[in-house]
Amino acid sequence: MDLSRRHFLEAGFGVGVAGSLGACASPGAMLGAPGMPDWHLGYKNAPPAGFDPSPMTLAFGAVPADLKGSFYRNGPAQMQYGDQYASHWFDGDGLIHRIAIEDGQAVHQARFAETKKRREEQAAGKFLSPGFGTLGDESYSVEDPDDVNAANTSVLVVNGELLALWEAGSAFAMDAETLETRGAKTWRDDLKGMPFLAHPKVEPDGRVWNLAVGGDRVGIYRIAKTGELEDFGMVNIGRAAYIHDWTMTDRHLIILVQPWVNENLRPPVVAGFEWQPQHGLQMLIVDKDDFTNQRWAQAPARMFFHTGSAWEESDGTIKFDVVLYREPVLGVGGGAAEIRGDWTEPGANENGILTQIVIPTQGDAKLIETGINGEFPQVDPRYRGQRRRLTALCTAPSRLRPGQTALTVHDWESGQSDTFNFGESRMVEEFLFVPKSGGSTEAESWLIGTVLNLNSKVSEVCVFDAARVSDGPVCIWQAAYSWPLGFHGTWA
Amino acid sequence: MTRTSHLIAVLSACIIAAPIASASELTVTVEGIAKQQGSIMLGLFDEATYNGDGAVNGANLTVEGTSVSVTFEGLEPGEYAVRLYHDVNDDGEMNSNPFGMPTEPYAFSNNAQGRFGPAKWEDAKFSVEADGTAHTITMN
Repeated sequence: MDLSRRHFLEAGFGVGVAGSLGACASPGAMLGAPGMPDWHLGYKNAPPAGFDPSPMTLAFGAVPADLKGSFYRNGPAQMQYGDQYASHWFDGDGLIHRIAIEDGQAVHQARFAETKKRREEQAAGKFLSPGFGTLGDESYSVEDPDDVNAANTSVLVVNGELLALWEAGSAFAMDAETLETRGAKTWRDDLKGMPFLAHPKVEPDGRVWNLAVGGDRVGIYRIAKTGELEDFGMVNIGRAAYIHDWTMTDRHLIILVQPWVNENLRPPVVAGFEWQPQHGLQMLIVDKDDFTNQRWAQAPARMFFHTGSAWEESDGTIKFDVVLYREPVLGVGGGAAEIRGDWTEPGANENGILTQIVIPTQGDAKLIETGINGEFPQVDPRYRGQRRRLTALCTAPSRLRPGQTALTVHDWESGQSDTFNFGESRMVEEFLFVPKSGGSTEAESWLIGTVLNLNSKVSEVCVFDAARVSDGPVCIWQAAYSWPLGFHGTWA
Repeated sequence: MTRTSHLIAVLSACIIAAPIASASELTVTVEGIAKQQGSIMLGLFDEATYNGDGAVNGANLTVEGTSVSVTFEGLEPGEYAVRLYHDVNDDGEMNSNPFGMPTEPYAFSNNAQGRFGPAKWEDAKFSVEADGTAHTITMN
């Protein structure tokens, strides 16, 4: 990386936009709120009405001429009512962002998904709904999963329709331009209220696959690129494992049944999980053309949140990448403390290691660990389900605060990694592959993602060249304000 | 899913029990029906039957507008509760999704709402007076 880019990041050039140039000395020096560490800025409430469309400032570099589209993101953004904190980060109401990019300009806007939980808690001025880490108020009625839906985990665009995703309830349809909430999405009358996982998988031709998880029973959605439901079927995975993500090849769905089990999904859900390593990490491989055609594969006990993507070799061997933990994380303390400004450095067993799982046609699966400690793996959407080389992920966990400080692209063929470390001044979030116009290889992509700039206390959108990540960002837009850290995004 | 199945079972129960000797009457009106088709399947319960499969009375009401109404005669004055569902496709069942959650609209007297199950008797009960009572339920 050239000196000017490093200088920019360390000196906080451009913070004049936020009017705090003089205050960007050392990490931890700036307080987001009285008595709170600087990084707590990432866990503060967003304004109740969200953010009206507002141009971001190009603070560094030159915008790629071919970069045009909408970068959507979702994440919890209501962590506090008065002196009452949310019980878990996963239970904050979803704030859906759109960063519209065209002609070198970036315009940010955001709106909360208007769920029943959001409406009633806003009216009462306090948390009421049960959730992942929340017991909830006895007065709050719960007749179906969408009554506790936070719509806060990811986003998907199908045939121009924007969906805000949670994992235990319906997707919420939103207007893709205004971000106005339209309501819970019903894919077919007999599937009303079925969960729609926050990690749908989109084939290169636009067909969408996703899961509905309910204890040991899992539904499978197959959705045409036009948005119509083509098929829905049920499979049994044997036990009520926590399923946040899964993966697929061009021919098979791979449902990872991790030994983190909850047979009693009562609020707070997190309290009901039990680590049962004796089962190992089991994987149910389901034929996309015939859901009854299944086989199981076995790996050592690991916990996971996120996969990259899978492919099949010519002999039927399945390979995919996933960030694996040796024991459960987040559900066992993390995710609750941060919103109160508390944080302790994770132990070695709490590191997420980028790993390739190789499932032979017979025998146990093998884990090939890269040693890369990171999260939020992403792949080129043109290669989902196909043999590919690259995975982008957030790496270099901070020693001072939650989250990561770097962006890495790992090449599975060469075994080499290319990393840019922002340093402790930035909290780095998920980066997405955006194919360059006219390109065809994975390396011919832009990587777009958000970082929270703790020096100038604003949110930023950064773009990298996937072929030269260590060169640093090709451009950075800054907002005039910060928004809370989020989870996942999509490009459309 | 146990609780959900129970919810469907009790909502589906519209068994008409033997008439009880008395002179009071109850008129139940159901408003805010979204789809003008099918039937409102309505069960009237007392405390003893509320959590079981049997009802003290019931009615199947054809939906032609946004509201329906029924009058039960010969009721002993006292506390009652109503559970109902809208059998939109008229298949005689309260349909549910593969995880057992109802996919057809349902409601309880007092517009009571449940918490991980049907509304409680305490929330759904109302009095039928000796000189007659009218009770309105709004679908949402």
